[in-house]
Amino acid sequence: MTIVKLKNISKDFSGLQVLVGITLEILEGECHAIIGPNGAGKSTLFNIITGLYRPSGGKIFFLDKDITNWSAHKIARLGISRSFQITNIFPKMTVFENVRNAIVSKFNRRFDWVSLLNKDKKIGEECDRIMNLLVLIDKKDVPASELSYGAQRQLEMALTLARDPLLIMLDEPTAGLTADETRKAVQMIKQVTKGKTLLIVEHDMEVVFSLADRITVLNYGEVLATGAPAEIRENEKVKMAYLGRG
Amino acid sequence: MNLHRTYPIAGGILVAIFLLVIPQTLPILLIHLSTEILYFALFAVSFNLVFGYGGLLPFGHAALFGIGAYTAGLLFNHLPQLSILPILLIAALSGLVAGFLIGLFCVRLSGPYFSLASLAFQMFFFAVALKWRSVTHGSDGMGITRPGLYLPLLGSLPMGEVQNLYYITLVLVALGIFTCYFFLKTPLGNSVVCMRENEIRASFLGYDIFLTKITVLAVSGMLAGLAGGLFALFQGFVSTTCIDVNMSLIVLLMVVIGGTDYFLGPVIGAAFYLIFQDWLSGMTRHWWLFMGIFFVFVVLYLEGGIIELFKFGKIRLWISKSGNKT
Amino acid sequence: MEASVELYLAQAMHGLVYGMLIFMVASGLSLVFGMMGVLNISHAAFYMLGAYLAYSITLFLGSFWISLLISPLIVGGLGILIERYLLRKVYRRGHTAELLLTFGLFFILAELVLIIWGSAPLRVAVPKLFDGEISLMGTTYPNYRLFILGFSCLVLFGMALILMRTRLGIIVRAAVSDVVMEEALGVNVSSVFMWVIGGGAALAAIAGVIAAPFVSTYPGMGFEILMDCFVVIVVGGFGSLLGVFIGSLMIGELQSFGILWVPQLAMVFQFLLMVVILIIRPTGLFGEKA
Repeated sequence: MTIVKLKNISKDFSGLQVLVGITLEILEGECHAIIGPNGAGKSTLFNIITGLYRPSGGKIFFLDKDITNWSAHKIARLGISRSFQITNIFPKMTVFENVRNAIVSKFNRRFDWVSLLNKDKKIGEECDRIMNLLVLIDKKDVPASELSYGAQRQLEMALTLARDPLLIMLDEPTAGLTADETRKAVQMIKQVTKGKTLLIVEHDMEVVFSLADRITVLNYGEVLATGAPAEIRENEKVKMAYLGRG
Repeated sequence: MNLHRTYPIAGGILVAIFLLVIPQTLPILLIHLSTEILYFALFAVSFNLVFGYGGLLPFGHAALFGIGAYTAGLLFNHLPQLSILPILLIAALSGLVAGFLIGLFCVRLSGPYFSLASLAFQMFFFAVALKWRSVTHGSDGMGITRPGLYLPLLGSLPMGEVQNLYYITLVLVALGIFTCYFFLKTPLGNSVVCMRENEIRASFLGYDIFLTKITVLAVSGMLAGLAGGLFALFQGFVSTTCIDVNMSLIVLLMVVIGGTDYFLGPVIGAAFYLIFQDWLSGMTRHWWLFMGIFFVFVVLYLEGGIIELFKFGKIRLWISKSGNKT
Repeated sequence: MEASVELYLAQAMHGLVYGMLIFMVASGLSLVFGMMGVLNISHAAFYMLGAYLAYSITLFLGSFWISLLISPLIVGGLGILIERYLLRKVYRRGHTAELLLTFGLFFILAELVLIIWGSAPLRVAVPKLFDGEISLMGTTYPNYRLFILGFSCLVLFGMALILMRTRLGIIVRAAVSDVVMEEALGVNVSSVFMWVIGGGAALAAIAGVIAAPFVSTYPGMGFEILMDCFVVIVVGGFGSLLGVFIGSLMIGELQSFGILWVPQLAMVFQFLLMVVILIIRPTGLFGEKA
């Protein structure tokens, strides 16, 4: 089953064409990686799928629903969740409060004006569950800005997963991590996204080849190739794009 | 014994007793001042809800206060069959509606754009209040005939005495401030702070930023409207001063001087401002200058307002940080 | 009042004159905002100070032209001091703190003016050179107003020249585009900020000086020009100097004809326009950002 379908998506910023004719399908349960040289348009694609940008042309479907011009928060509520390359958390709030923001939204209690948040057991338990999953429970009451970089990345992941999304989108999850941290991160990603649909943007080829079921290569805003890792490895056009440059 | 709990509770009880005996012990002028401090405290708290907690800086907050004041004033004069409480309730509602409408148009903009938009709406309402003399009497203002206060079981109490006005203001302000405090403890209140902390992330977590901002303006408007109504009731008179830029400036001064980071900062700020004004204006015609200088001093050197001075060591006398030191 | 073409023309000229004055003040405000992200509210006080200093200097030194020279220098210097010793302290705390500071400074300056010069309007005599009227398109028009028009065009042309042709100008424009990049290139950005604020202040003061014989000086003038600038910026659009220019002329004309046709409601119109623009086109007529 197709989770997300992109049909001929294009995006230009005041004349600068960033994406052209992107047609792509993300299948249920797969880990789909998007790779490509810098400036290929990967982040833009992410932003379009999650509703931060409106596409200049084309359509996006999520489970057969046309979400082309939907706003970010509505798309998030549908079940698409994303992480950020540059850690994007709630700095002055504690780890617990950070996760709680996501959980409150998950339970659709954002506009609940009659109950006391502190006393809510259900929300508290769910927060604990997520924090345990990401090994953050011991840092529960630490303000997010005081966490180490690695822990902040954990929190970033926690926020992305907290809503139990149907589609998890990770934007360069191993950026800035050491080789050892990267290996651990890949392990964790495999663990927490088991059975889920994953769309990741990555530069680290080892990570890509160890996680991805299918890979799409972008270059200059266009899809160069889509297929299984082995196919992509052998693809001539891909080789040219990576090796032919610079 | 949990120090963090007993000190605030004991302190709170002391403050409550103090507030209750004011009319019995202080001279009339000070009772006047106290009543003023009370409704301005509510106004300031409503402002900080938007500014400190919501992260938006409205330059035209007096619009909500003034609309409440005029609504109350007009109802007092034209619908004498209504007693005080229903009228103040309607004043609060008028503030809520105004806050909602203004929010509807202004929250799409961010930063200084929002601030100016808020000012634009306020200036527009000010101009209406100024020019629609047949209704509002313009800058001359309109006097207000106070109805009695109807309480079930107690009948109608006359409102001519300062003590009565003080008590009703005290009760309603306490109610308003408590409502605001409770609001901040609900998931909706959390949504407001969450939005302030990281609007984009909140969006990606499913928070409707537009709606949340409008909501905080509406709730704030409700409280500011109530404060305006109490202002009208107490002063017995409403003129364009309650809806002009000066009033917006005053509440901004109060909140920044008092402190945006703690829930009761604005209350401290309102008390400080009014006491300072009372004291200084007796000494010099140019007290406004000193207020300005003090304000700049606070912005430069007292980040977080004067409430920061009330932190004795590890014991925080006031709870509920907004997390937003300006 | 009979409606005649001459009357309309005169009002239109009047609007143009006032529009140019507003533009001189609003452009500095817009530039600083574009460059530093700060809405420098104290900017309006510079205009007012310029006018009041013109009054005093003309009074004590006998010449209006000397005040046109000295007043901007004093006010420009004040602007530089404010940036160097006050504004700089709050940059690291973000735009809100900066806004609050500039607001507080406006406050203080306005009060000081009130204390020093009093609350009565002070008349500044039109310089003898431009005293009188000339015949223009069937009606007589005061020379001095034409001077204001001409002089402000000259000043603005000079400013445009500096921005476009000189090294300083390029640095300033680059700063408006991308401050971080400029800093990376080794430009002393704080220095640039200082000079731009000082320069803007001087420009506002010049506007104040030449406005003084036209509108006379009064304590509310700072606040009024501030409101006018705000309306202009909202209507014309943030980030667009062209928008500020068109907006200034629009507001000038609106005020001029507003006072003519519906004196009671002139003020309402201005803010009604602001509200309408905010509703239908929040980015302003020419603005790029919202």
